[in-house]
Amino acid sequence: MRSRPLLSTLRSLAAVLLLSLAGSSSFGEVASEGQLKAAYLVNFLKYVEWPASRSTATICLFGRDSLGPYLASYEGRQIVGRELRIRKVTSPDQLADCQLLFVPDTEESRFAAVLRWSDKQAILTVSDAEIFTRDGGVIALVRSEGRLQFDINTDALGRAGLKASSQMLRLARQVSGGGR
Amino acid sequence: MRCKKVLSLMLLAWGGDVLASNAVDEMGLEELTKADITSVSRKSQSLSDVPAAAFVISAEDIRRSGAQALPDVLRMVPGIEVAQIDSARYAVTARGFNGRFANKLQVLIDGRSVYHPIFSGVMWEADLIALEDIERVEVIRGPGAAMWGVNAVNGVINIISRHTRHQGGGEAVASLGTQGKAGLYARYGGQLDEYTRWKMSVQGRHAEPSQLYASGGENVDRLNNGVLDFRLDKDLGAGHDLTLWANAVRSSLGDQWRLNPQYSGGGSFLGMNNYLIQQSYTSQSLMGRYRWLSDSGVESSLQMAMTDSGIEISEYFKEERTTYDLDYQARYAFAGHDLLWGGSHRTTSDSVTSATSVVSMANPDYTDRSTGVFVHDDWTLIRDRLVLGAGARWDHPMRGGNTFSPSASLMWTPGRSDSVWLKYARAPRVPARAERDVTIFAGVVRPSAESMGLPVFLRTRPSSRTLKPEEVEGFELGYRKQLTSNFSTDLAVYRYRYKNLISGLPVSQDFSMLPLNIIQNVETYNCMAAWSNGAEFSADWLVSAAWRLQLSYAWTRLEFDRSANPTLNATAENDEKSGPRHFGALRSQWNISPIQQFDAWIRGSAGFYRANAPYTELVRVPGYMTLDLRYGRKFGKDVELALSGRNLLGPRRIEFISDYIPSPQSEVTPSLLLSVRWKF
Repeated sequence: MRSRPLLSTLRSLAAVLLLSLAGSSSFGEVASEGQLKAAYLVNFLKYVEWPASRSTATICLFGRDSLGPYLASYEGRQIVGRELRIRKVTSPDQLADCQLLFVPDTEESRFAAVLRWSDKQAILTVSDAEIFTRDGGVIALVRSEGRLQFDINTDALGRAGLKASSQMLRLARQVSGGGR
Repeated sequence: MRCKKVLSLMLLAWGGDVLASNAVDEMGLEELTKADITSVSRKSQSLSDVPAAAFVISAEDIRRSGAQALPDVLRMVPGIEVAQIDSARYAVTARGFNGRFANKLQVLIDGRSVYHPIFSGVMWEADLIALEDIERVEVIRGPGAAMWGVNAVNGVINIISRHTRHQGGGEAVASLGTQGKAGLYARYGGQLDEYTRWKMSVQGRHAEPSQLYASGGENVDRLNNGVLDFRLDKDLGAGHDLTLWANAVRSSLGDQWRLNPQYSGGGSFLGMNNYLIQQSYTSQSLMGRYRWLSDSGVESSLQMAMTDSGIEISEYFKEERTTYDLDYQARYAFAGHDLLWGGSHRTTSDSVTSATSVVSMANPDYTDRSTGVFVHDDWTLIRDRLVLGAGARWDHPMRGGNTFSPSASLMWTPGRSDSVWLKYARAPRVPARAERDVTIFAGVVRPSAESMGLPVFLRTRPSSRTLKPEEVEGFELGYRKQLTSNFSTDLAVYRYRYKNLISGLPVSQDFSMLPLNIIQNVETYNCMAAWSNGAEFSADWLVSAAWRLQLSYAWTRLEFDRSANPTLNATAENDEKSGPRHFGALRSQWNISPIQQFDAWIRGSAGFYRANAPYTELVRVPGYMTLDLRYGRKFGKDVELALSGRNLLGPRRIEFISDYIPSPQSEVTPSLLLSVRWKF
């Protein structure tokens, strides 16, 4: 007796869920935030120029909340002629071969420390915290009106000895620093 | 052509994650800036490098749960048992030993413990922080004393408030629901200069009394809560920052204590009647935190908190308390090590008035001081593969002697998508003030031939022997796997040994003549031990960009040691039955369109038995399965309307029987709530 209303509710719930499956396909370009962030990191490697050329490009992920699973499918791919590697880092001495360092917003309390570790090295620092560029990081991924965009701090970029393509600067939501 | 399109649509529907991620893979920078994102955020869900059974509840999860009180939000965490007692009281624990005040769970708000020293548990009925002001809740099950100090025996709940930078401008949320539920939250945040931000928020919540389960009549648990919260963040540059919090809480809630014995004209015992009480709780706290970064790269944090609080239970009990907390933490990362160390001190003074035969307190004015230091290191043995964690904490509570809490963990990450961890830990729980100092009538054994037809009143009183801390020690094994970029699972199994568990033992008897009855004195001793076994599973599946499913399941089993003492043996048997073996939940979060959301939450618990307080015989609390639904719709950019239904399925039920102070059982009923959120 008891299970009957439960079963019928479950059944209608299942129907609703199936509908949502079918419905979601019409979204087309809608993607999860994690996927987009991962794609951004990989793309930045294409639009930024590092002083010394190497055979590998390494994206380093700092801290607890990492994009690792989303980046896994990119690992080993060729990005502008270099093999892409993904690595987790926890301390300053592990940064030596990082081209890009991603610091998640959950590690906000450690931004200052991480930026000091990477200071004056050719490392592109990226975070998904809006304040990151103001704190001295190079790129902040920003959620704005249902889209993921990015801010760039050209002073920080210059301090790291990196060059960004003009196209990238044009696509940025906000460019801060003097060197536009 | 058309066929192909239909086929690809179907493929998208059933294998959406694979195809969608490929599409994103190929996007250039320009396309990325134009792609819409789903609001199904997986932020903080990736805990793949924490060697513990950890779970994070995000602000988004809280909002979409449709819950009004924090314990209802905690139901989504595997291994956390939540049972509602009446309109606002809850029993919340991790991994067994639940109670009105579950004393083995540590709860912190921004690093400040809200574990009440007298009741040794959390006053969940007071809204300690508005749900809207929470950034995230981190739950770590299992012993956490090596880091968090005494009482973090079965788990730690860390509530982290929102940074002022996410709380700029104004926001108001108003809710109205069945059972006289009403809530109002309002916030305004601003900026003093480029580096200084502040916010102020208020919340008020009201609920009309619930229904009594036995009679269907009205209970007296009318709730009135208020919270006022202020936060200021100042960025001082170069890794220095300052945060100030001020928080005030007012709560009032009625209750019935079934402790008033009734006799017939002939002097024979008729049963227990209720004392109607009004419980009010107040607290004001002021907190400050300063963080800085030294030139050598050491990150430090110094935090101070001052709290004035009070509990008044009309006519029976009044407590006033002042607490000072000082906490220092530092972190230094070098050569594969991530070193964390710190120390804390707490001074808490109370003044208790209790003037009745129902409850009385020894040492009415009492100050407790507690000091602790800890060190912890995560040492990367093989880069990207193997991390060894080791730590220990020493605490010196004024009563209870020194405690030492070590922990060690090994985390192996064979591939990017798998990780395995093994953890050993030991943790103490220092006996609460109530366990040492309270005398209270706690129960009644109904008249029987053995008691010569007289009722036997159980009176718990301070022990003549010194109570030692309770202790837990054991192992956990965990496995996490990221099956695809959109599907992950997490499994933890554990086996723990509890020693020196505190329980009551009958000592002397008093016979009073009029009316004729027997008083059985009960004293508390460290006299029990138990094994705790369990497994927790969770899965998180982003089925498509717009739909996410989360499954959680926990199995818990306590086995108490048997004793030659018949009282202890009976207690052991009862305690084993007094918590549910199974807990499970399935949540679905669906974004119908950018402006519409539909969420469903099926959750259930197995049945269990508890003493029919104040009587000693066991009553079954039946298992249940129920459904919560929420539909939210945005109107323009700044207004959102949401309709939530809770406990929509299943027969009328109770979820718990209060043990701490016996009170009649309240029914958990279906409810509807309509909320409007407005940003300005």
